[in-house]
This record gives sequence, structure tokens and C-alpha cells, in this order.
Amino acid sequence: MRFVSFRSATSVLATTALLLIATAPSHAQSRAETLRYVTGASVNTLDPNIPGSTRESFALSMSTYDRLVAFGRKQLNGKWVFDLDTITGELAESYDVSPDGLKITFRLRKDAKFQDGSPVTAEDVKWSLDRCVTAPILGKAQLLTGSLTSADQFKVIDPLTIEVTLPKPDKLALPNLATVYPMIINAKVAKEHATAEDPWATAWLKEHTAGSGAYVVETFKPGEQVVLKRDESWNRGSANKPAFFKRVIIQSVPEPATRANLVERGDADIVVDLQASDVQSLEAKGKLKVISTPQYNAITFVSMNNQMPPFDNVNVRRAIAYALPYDDMFKAALFGRGSPLFGANWPDGKPLNGTYPFQQPVKLDLDKAREYLKAAGLPEGFSTTFSFNVGQSSTAEPMAALVKESLGKIGIKVDIQKLPDAQMSTQINEKKLPFYTEGIVAWLPSTDYFYRNFYTGNQRWNYSSINNPDLAAIAQEARFEPDKAKYEEAGRKLNAMHFDLMPQIMLWQPNQDAVMASSIEGYTYEFHRQVDYRDVSRK
Amino acid sequence: MMTGLGATMVRAGRRLLSSLPALFGVLVFTFLLMRVLPGDPAVFFASGPNAGKEEIEQIRKQMGLDKSVPEQLVFYLSDIGHGNLGRSMMTGQPVLKDLRERLPASLELTFTALLIALIAAVPLGVIAALRPGSVVDHGVRLFCALGVCVPTFVSGLLLIYVFYYLLGLAPDPTGRIDVFTSLPPQRTGFLSIDFLLAGDFEGWWAACRQLILPAVSMALFVIAPLARITRASMLVSLGSDFVRTARSVGLSWHKVVVTYALRNAILPVITIAGIVFSTMLGANVLVEKVFSWPGVASYALDALLSSDYAPVQGFVLLMASLFVLVNLVVDICYGIADPRVSIE
Repeated sequence: MRFVSFRSATSVLATTALLLIATAPSHAQSRAETLRYVTGASVNTLDPNIPGSTRESFALSMSTYDRLVAFGRKQLNGKWVFDLDTITGELAESYDVSPDGLKITFRLRKDAKFQDGSPVTAEDVKWSLDRCVTAPILGKAQLLTGSLTSADQFKVIDPLTIEVTLPKPDKLALPNLATVYPMIINAKVAKEHATAEDPWATAWLKEHTAGSGAYVVETFKPGEQVVLKRDESWNRGSANKPAFFKRVIIQSVPEPATRANLVERGDADIVVDLQASDVQSLEAKGKLKVISTPQYNAITFVSMNNQMPPFDNVNVRRAIAYALPYDDMFKAALFGRGSPLFGANWPDGKPLNGTYPFQQPVKLDLDKAREYLKAAGLPEGFSTTFSFNVGQSSTAEPMAALVKESLGKIGIKVDIQKLPDAQMSTQINEKKLPFYTEGIVAWLPSTDYFYRNFYTGNQRWNYSSINNPDLAAIAQEARFEPDKAKYEEAGRKLNAMHFDLMPQIMLWQPNQDAVMASSIEGYTYEFHRQVDYRDVSRK
Repeated sequence: MMTGLGATMVRAGRRLLSSLPALFGVLVFTFLLMRVLPGDPAVFFASGPNAGKEEIEQIRKQMGLDKSVPEQLVFYLSDIGHGNLGRSMMTGQPVLKDLRERLPASLELTFTALLIALIAAVPLGVIAALRPGSVVDHGVRLFCALGVCVPTFVSGLLLIYVFYYLLGLAPDPTGRIDVFTSLPPQRTGFLSIDFLLAGDFEGWWAACRQLILPAVSMALFVIAPLARITRASMLVSLGSDFVRTARSVGLSWHKVVVTYALRNAILPVITIAGIVFSTMLGANVLVEKVFSWPGVASYALDALLSSDYAPVQGFVLLMASLFVLVNLVVDICYGIADPRVSIE
């Protein structure tokens, strides 16, 4: 009898359990294992190397492809950020740099497999890296910054070992291999889709993936959404297990207010491109987790064309630097969400250190500005235009109004010009804008990299069009400087020159405001300024 | 009746032929306009952190911008002749594919909105016309004025705020279907029809729920012109001799108002509905943006901002063709509503 009652008890239990399983909404179950990420932009290609690819495409490729190495992460003021100085293996189990710094040898993981089940071999790595430096794709210009320029530099030693040779000991060679572009492609599959005109299968890879990454692309609707499915056998994560979320939905929601609503109501899990005002109110409500990281590899400038009168006169540029209402601009444009690059205190008039970007000792001082204008021979002021692009108008518009008002006080008449994005980039490229605001970002933020790419040469990213041979020479030399103290000294020199010449005015580093459900953990600010879906998990 | 229908068809065919030169003109004009606009798409799209001169040149070549404008035009026209509208830099897809995927979304939204607007506007107009100057008439006028005054994106955001954010009645305003619902096999591209064909009523209901808010916010904006026109033309119709005669011989209210007065008053409403439809299709960009609706208008706007030539040209061509088509349909509707029209 007791036995029977025991059995009936178990059967009741079992039935209840069954019922529970059956009625437990499978929807909710899958929802917890799904990451829904909403964004104002969209993924436009599955291969980030295609010219014109968006930042969302960069982020996607980090999850669909592996690289040889990856950046580690570190804490910066209590928030996780990528760490340029720690390079960990991704497909590489380990790597060695030869004592002279000219050879890097990578040993591949034996268990690494592509998503089609075939093993990752040194041949695949070589083909992928060759493609990156040979094919007419974006990777070429990026790898150039790490002295990786030719297919001859990559040598297969055995099926699991590959050697990279450098012409000079370049400290950016290894970090470059962790960036978006040199992803490792399944060469056998890609070659099947290569044609005579397109030997590197760029057309095919744009719409298909052949990688070894943590996620497989399930559906790809350009401009709308991408759905990713976890690759169960992927084990390149920190804890040697697959990524946390079974599914990732990357969805384009153009209206920022709608994105804010979605994440607040819990329908979306994470978003990084909300308006500063929405972030502030969501943070105040306290229901969601808001992680604000200063984008320490990005800078917003007020730029002046150093080749164009009157900005070719250094005193005019200095006058502007002391006539900007920095604090008001910072509040109006960003609600103070960022780190300022103005208002430093240099006790002995010298830079505090040799890192770029740095805080300059400039502040609003109209008397000083008037003196500089007088010294420039323009005591009555002049007229100019201040331009910004439509895409940035939410921050640039209030800023421009403040610039206009403040410069008006020292006699500089400013016309505000709002340009469509394509038109703005064209005019910058042609060096036609006298005075404007723009931002930059560097994936590998080292001092010499910033100065070489953004302060030298007649090219688009030299916003201020500065042409100073001394500055260029110091930056170029610093690139290959192995001695840390000497490198720091070069950095100090460059920073001092920057303040003296004032080619353009660094304003601030805006925050990356990642707003997420309180259950989301592990968010890390990455060099590509998007969410790496492999980082996050749910509590 | 047959001859009436036949005549309408012949007239429609003739209309179609005579619109071809206009379409060609639109094609060439858009093509030239895009190239005259300042802004170099190659520079815009070469915006990776290391994109230099080489990348810009390469994109220029890829887009065919390295050739002279007349040469480009010839290539473009021959491509169009082969049914190729070019490739979008923005989405990386052929423009034809993008448009084919997005047009049903826009059409579904616009049709629904127009239907809602007509269902609301015609009775409102008729009621207002039956009692001109009364409280009802003023009420309708106020409602219409409000609808026109509030821009669609404001009404859209308000609707989202109330029905999604506060009440939680509406699904999240992100596109045509909840991300967790699986799509029906694509037959027409109209989700509400495809779901019915697939026999998936749950999916159908989900798609309809997504559709309601954007359709209503669009409809609110166009109720006013439709209702005002209905009222005006009903007033004329109600005051005319035949209605007086019909009334005097003691026909029922229904017969007088609906059969005689409304049928005669409906012509201008059809005309306006045709125009409203065409404008809505192109101008619903704000609604599409607010509701993340994957339609053609927001697609074209994004393309325009980034100087992506091919999609803009494709969009204008599509709109011009649709306009021609809508006008044809309106013509045919005329013939049905009023047989006298078929006499040219």
C-alpha cells in the first residue's frame, strides 16, 4: 500500500513536471537565451573588408569569424574596456616574438574547427592574411599600419604553425592582427566561389560566411535584421566554452526614442546608441544598467584649416581656442557625458605626459582671445562658416549655436552650415571647409599612430591640414622606438607642439553609453565601439 | 456595359503609352540631379578608420563614377533595359532586390492606412454634409484640423507612447512582425495575406497588430482631405436637381443619400484618394522611421543622405511608375463610378 502510494506520488510529481514543461512558455525560455540588440545603424555586409561596410558589420564579423589573436580586457575606472597591451590567442594557442622582434610565430589550436566542421589549418590562415594584404579591400590600409604589406611575409611552417616576418620591429603588427579585418576564412570553401575577376571571393563572402566564429548567421536581411545562432563547438571564449546566448538578434530601429522605449520595457536587451538625454532619464529611473565608458580611442574636434586664411595664422587659431565656451558646449551637446579634453592645469607650462589624446590647458578667456586676435592683425575680427554634418546634429547643433554666440563677442561672425553627411565628407576630403566639427576614432590608440594618421600628409584624416615637417618626423621616428622612456619623451614633445601650434582644438571624448537590462553582464567597451556579442551573458 | 468597359481599357492603354516619355524623362532627370548634387558617395563610403585615396578611387570605380557623365548615363540606361537597377552601397544588395522586398511592406501599410482613412472619412464627410453648420459638422472639422495639424511622426510617437509604453497593448514598434515569430512562405509579400494563405492565424494576428499603429498614424493625417472633399462634393450633390426630384417622389433616405447623392459625389473623392495614395507611399518616410517599418521611403531617404545614387534613382523610377499605375486605376474607377466619363 505504501509502495503504491509512493508510486502514485511520483507519478503525480512526474505529471506535474511534465505539465510544467509543456505549459512553460517555450517563448520565454528561448527569450532568456536570446540576446536582442537594437541599433540605429545596420549590417550591410557579412565581410567587414568590403569598402563601405558599417560599424555594425564590424561587430558582426567579430562573432562570425575568429582572428589569430584577440585583445584582452582591463578595468578602467571600474568599467571593462579592451586592453591594447594584452594580446591573447584566439585561433592561435600561443605565439612567440623573436628577440629581434622581426618574426612572430603562431601555433594554432588543434581543436579549432570551421563552422562546416573542417579543421582550421595554417593554409587557411595564410590564404586569409594574403587576401587581407593583396585584395582591394579595407584590410590592406589597416595592416599597412602594422608593417604587414605583402603575402611573402606569411609563411606556413607546418599545418598548425604559421610565421609572420616583419621588415622592422613594429609594435603595432601583433595588435593589427586582432582588429576586425584579418579574420580567418575557410580557404577551401572561399576558393570554390572565387572567379577569375574575383580571385579572393569578395562578392561571395559579402553575402555568405565561411568562418570559425562563435555564431553562425541564420538570416541576414540587410538594413533590417540579422539573426545569429550559436556554434555549439566553438570554444575560443575565455572559459573555453561556447558563447552564452543561443541566439542573437541584431535589429535596426532607426528612431532613437523607440530604441529607448524597447530597452526600458525589456523587449530589447542592450543598446549603445541612444540619445544622451534618453540615457540620462533611463539612468535616473534606475531600472536598467547603464555603463558609460569614455571612448578612449575617439575624439571630437573643432578643426580649422591651417592652410586657409585666416586660420593659417597661429594666433587666430589660439584666439579661437580661448574663445570657445567649453563647459557650456560640453553640457549642451553631451549633457556632460564624456571626458573633457580642455581645462587642464599645466603648472610648468609643459605637457603632463606623452600620451595622446590629452587635456589641453585651454579655457574660455575672451580677453586672452582678443589679444591673440590683435596679434594676428585682425582686431576687428572676421567672418567664417562653421560646418557640421546632419548625422551629428543632435550634438553638433547646440554646440554650433554656442560657438557662434561666443565668437560673436570677439568680433568673429560665424555662419552655421549644416551639411548632409556625404557632402561633409567630400568637402573635408577636398579640404574646402575652413572651420568645422568632426570626430575621429583609432582602433589602435597609441600616441604616434594618432599623430601620424591625423596630423600629417595631405589626406582626408588630417582634418586641420597641418603640414609641419618636425612634427611628422618625430611621430614617424616614435613608431619604431623600442625604448619606452624615449617614446614617452617623443610623446611629450608632440603634445607640446600640439598646444603651441593649436592646429585643431580637442574638445572631448564622448561616452559610449551602453544601456542594458539589469540581467545582462560582461559588457566590455571594444575597440570597434560596438557590442561584442561574445562578451555578454545573462544572470 | 461591355463597350463601356472596352472603351475604358482602350483609354487606359493609351494613357499608359503616353506616360512612357514622362517616365523616361523622370529617369534621365533623376540621374542628372543625383550627379549635380554636391557630395561624393565614394568619399562617404570610404569611411573606415584607414580609408585613403586608394579606397576612394576603388569605390568610385566600383560605382562606375570614374567615367564621364554621358557614358554613365548610357551604361545606366542599358542596365535598366536589362532590368538591372544597379547595386546599393548602403545595403550591399542589388537595388531591384531591395525594392522588391521593401515595396510590399510600404504597399501593405499604405493600403491599410488608406482603407482606414476612407472608412473613417467618407461617413464623416457625409454626416457633415447632411447637417452643414451643425455641431456634428463643426466636430468633424475640428477632428480633421487636428489630424492635419499633428505631423505623422508626432502622432506615431504619441500612439507608441500610449499603446506600447504606457498600456502595453500594442506589440513593440519594430517592423512588420515580432522578431520571434517565424515568417510564412513568401507568396505576395503582403504578410497579412501570406499568413492567411499559410493558414497561420496566430501569425496573421501578430502581423495585423504590428500594422495597426503605423496605419492609424498615417490615416489620421489623410482623413482630413478625404473628409473635406466628401463633404464639399456631397453638399453640391445634395443640393442638385436630381436629389430634389428623388426626395420629392418619396424615395427612401438610404436610396437618396447613398445611391444617388453619394455615387455622384464620389468622383472627386476617388481622384483625391488616388493622389493621397501616391503621396502617402513616398511621404510615409517618417512613419516608416518611427515604426522601423522596412519600407521603400525610409530606404530612399537613407540612400539620399549618403548620396547612394542607384537606390535613389530606382526609388524615383518606382514611384513614377506607381503614379502612372495609380492614375490608371483611378481612371478605371471613374468609368465604373460614372459611365459618362468613358466618353472622351
